Amino acid sequence: MFSTPDRRTLLKSVGLAGAGALMPGFARAQAQTLVAATFPGTWNEAHRQVLLPAFVKRTGAKATQSIILGTDQISRLSAAKGGKPPFDVAFFDSPQVIDAVKQGLIVEYPVAKSPNYASLLPEFQDKWGPRVSVQVIGIGYNPKKIKNPPKSWDALWDPQYKGRVGLTALNSQLGIAFLAEINRLRGGADDNFDAGFKALRELLPNVGAIGANLGAFATLWQQEQIDIAPYNFNFVQTLKAKDVPVELSIPDTGPVGWHTSMHIVANAEAPDLAAAYIDTNLDPAVQAAMQKPPFDIIPSNSNVPLEGAITQSIAKTHADLAKVRAINWEKIGPMRSALIEQFNREVKI
Amino acid sequence: MQRDSLALAVPLAALFLVAFIAPLCVLLALSLSGDSEFGRFTLQNYVKFFTDRFNYSILIDTLLLGIKSTAVCLVFGYPIAWVAARSSPRVQSLLLFIVVLPIMTSVVVRTFAWIVILGRYGVLNQIVQSLGLTQEPLKLLYSEVGVVIVLAQVQMPLMVLPILTVLSRIDPNLSDASQALGAGAWRTLWRVTLPLSTPGIVAGCILTYAACVTAFVTQSLIGGARLVYMPLHIYQQAVGANNWPFAAALSVIFMIAVLAAVALLNTIAARAHRHA
Repeated sequence: MFSTPDRRTLLKSVGLAGAGALMPGFARAQAQTLVAATFPGTWNEAHRQVLLPAFVKRTGAKATQSIILGTDQISRLSAAKGGKPPFDVAFFDSPQVIDAVKQGLIVEYPVAKSPNYASLLPEFQDKWGPRVSVQVIGIGYNPKKIKNPPKSWDALWDPQYKGRVGLTALNSQLGIAFLAEINRLRGGADDNFDAGFKALRELLPNVGAIGANLGAFATLWQQEQIDIAPYNFNFVQTLKAKDVPVELSIPDTGPVGWHTSMHIVANAEAPDLAAAYIDTNLDPAVQAAMQKPPFDIIPSNSNVPLEGAITQSIAKTHADLAKVRAINWEKIGPMRSALIEQFNREVKI
Repeated sequence: MQRDSLALAVPLAALFLVAFIAPLCVLLALSLSGDSEFGRFTLQNYVKFFTDRFNYSILIDTLLLGIKSTAVCLVFGYPIAWVAARSSPRVQSLLLFIVVLPIMTSVVVRTFAWIVILGRYGVLNQIVQSLGLTQEPLKLLYSEVGVVIVLAQVQMPLMVLPILTVLSRIDPNLSDASQALGAGAWRTLWRVTLPLSTPGIVAGCILTYAACVTAFVTQSLIGGARLVYMPLHIYQQAVGANNWPFAAALSVIFMIAVLAAVALLNTIAARAHRHA
């Protein structure tokens, strides 16, 4: 009982299909899914628990959050260059932004589509994409083993901590930021790390373990394999919430850190949703929720007053946030490969 | 007839061509270029590798790590396979289950479990210290000894299964004959069973060796960043340093080195088999 379609019906359906192909945006708009990159650990948890529900409520769209390190994001985006990128929203630390701009992997942020952008503190505004937070490093220590909070980076060199100091490899931001700060304090320059590496050589007898990545580094704390090490404020808060004995002390030379930012990827499949997703992360209510423990993510919106653990060790006011010492990534970026190589040579057993 | 069987191989050959040979060619081309965009032709990546002790010492360390872990696997795996082959079907399936069990959990989970066992305050150190064998905790995690122990456990099934297969195919009359002719149990094992099981040992060693030298997760989680092996070195160059051409050259060199090691193992085995 099948009827053969007449010529007119056939033409009509072919025409409709053709129109659909010409207007893919229209056909897809109903069931669009955004793919956004996020970091492992604190960020992934905050993005899943706070940002995702807020974004879904605001747009009604779906979003998939993919856990990828910043450097891996750069690799994947440049591998997919010219084709369909693997995600729409990139999540970077400062140095990756420079790489991404240089390689044309991200586009300028459409400020007009982002109502919350204007209320960002000035140092968090950037035409390539808003900085959603600042990550700060200090001295992590095990309070069960070390009663007096270390006051200076020099504590790591103290012979009493022989075999108990931890480090991370230089492919993490933490590793490179620590080396840069030590280099600065020991008289090195942004483009000359000799002083930093000399200090590293002197530190090696104390070093018990070097984590190949941040996941392995967190395990070192959980297993109490190390008692003192440079560490990231947010990771300390996350581990503390899991009852791991770890505290962070900001050395008397002041906090050091870098910005973390969100970007729309070039040729993104859903650029408008990407902008909405990023703007949701700038929303005062979202940032206030992320500032609560166990995330303790430092807000960048001027309408979110600082509170909690942040005010005890890092910054009491928004003005203090501007004083977090930045690292000269423009200078370090081109040397990164050489730094990683030299670090590996110095530490290899 | 032969044409038909060739036709049957076409789908797999096509898959191989697209999914294996083509990426390999890309890798080779990238390793011979000056930048990530397949720019000018150059041999500098290979020159850099072979003129720098740091680079080739990593390759040697990696190949040696494979030999050590494979040896440990063989020493512990052969007796297990031997016992399993001579057990009743029930005991054999139980032993097999225990041997295969590690494959059923993710390698990441297995490796993290080992971190708990080998750590400064881990299970092993607690036992050793409570027995009064040492005052200071042993440094097992982040040492090559630790990496060898974990690799041997993680890759054990790859050694046991091929040996077990070969052992259970050996005619039991042969060892009976050997003993009837006056050879003791050890002599029978040494002169009859072991030579006959050579194909299984070789297959097991090749599989274990290839798996151990390329085990990125176990090497980097148990070894840490101070024990650099080729997989971590390649990863750091590709992702951390963004130096794709050099990472590609490292991969090509590593692949050839592993293939050469496997070929060497095969030749030795073939010669041993001929003499047996």
